[in-house]
Amino acid sequence: MRPRDVPPPVARAFRAAAPGHRTVYVVHPGALAAQVYRGLADALPEGDGLTVLDLGAVPAYAEAALTGGRAATTVEALAQELLGHLEPMPTAYTLAGWSFGGVLALAMTGAMPAERRPERLVLLDSIAPTEEYKQPDDALEPELLLGWFAMYLGAKRGRSVVPDPGALAGCGTDEGLAAVLDAAVAARALLPETPLPGLRKLYETYVDGLLRNNRLTAPHHPSPAALPLVLVKAERSLVPGDPTLGWQPLAPHGLTVQVCPGDHYTMLSRPDSLDVIAPLLHAV
Amino acid sequence: MAVVTAREAEDWLIEKIAHRLGVATGEVSREVYFDELDLDSTEALILAGEMENWLGFELSTTTLWYHPTVKELAAYIAEESAQRAAA
Repeated sequence: MRPRDVPPPVARAFRAAAPGHRTVYVVHPGALAAQVYRGLADALPEGDGLTVLDLGAVPAYAEAALTGGRAATTVEALAQELLGHLEPMPTAYTLAGWSFGGVLALAMTGAMPAERRPERLVLLDSIAPTEEYKQPDDALEPELLLGWFAMYLGAKRGRSVVPDPGALAGCGTDEGLAAVLDAAVAARALLPETPLPGLRKLYETYVDGLLRNNRLTAPHHPSPAALPLVLVKAERSLVPGDPTLGWQPLAPHGLTVQVCPGDHYTMLSRPDSLDVIAPLLHAV
Repeated sequence: MAVVTAREAEDWLIEKIAHRLGVATGEVSREVYFDELDLDSTEALILAGEMENWLGFELSTTTLWYHPTVKELAAYIAEESAQRAAA
């Protein structure tokens, strides 16, 4: 919360791989602190390592969420930047990406020579960057955004924040935020005196982060994956009714879908979800 | 628009921070960096929104990053408030 003399590292090793063992790289697009992967690192098989590639440490990306949601960069440029943070690969490795990080992970594999490609590419509740799944900004209605925001707020505070669905149906932002505030206070995720203008600031910053990712995805035209894809979908995904989140056209070498407990955010920390995810990062 | 002085802004910030942390106002230093307080990014943004409502003008989300103590932020708010009142 202050200008830093030393910029935070993009590549953050949460567990180093033992010689001859696999490293899992996870592309993290922010929203939650990178420390959320500590549990996943601990859930990996003995000897395997986990390194987070934190987009929150890339200024052109991170600052866009604080300044209106327009990033002066592209998916391709971000992918190139992240590739520069991969270590030389003496052994097999896995590349994964959570949420928008999955879009980046696919772009990275498309930009690297075949001999550097990962053994596995795992998408953690990521929405495919295909035309059918791209949305103009104004298609993101308050009802949808507020439902996601409640999920996010709950994950940040370690509580389940579930507004009355009837209160969000067809709502405007202000009335919907009031319903989220009521639910958050009832769940003890926020103090009882938390003012609506304060929650609105948090919501606007959250939405700017989503819009940034939406706007980066809009002009991006991905190539199909050069290797099989594994998609882990949260039970309470951002798009719960969709079985593949749009990845099938980008998976000519196959798409495996697994469902894990939790929502889009808590899937990264719930032990029962990590029990599903960790083996998928390792198995061939 | 009423001008907010640096002292008023300091008092407001210290009262709000003390309340969120559940401590007495005398325990919140005006010199301490916000990220050294037990105040996470969620609470910091909520505080920023509440402050905007009190001030009647918008603060950039980066304001707390560039003015990272109560003392520095209060000085910035006073300066900004005076400029807006004079405009």
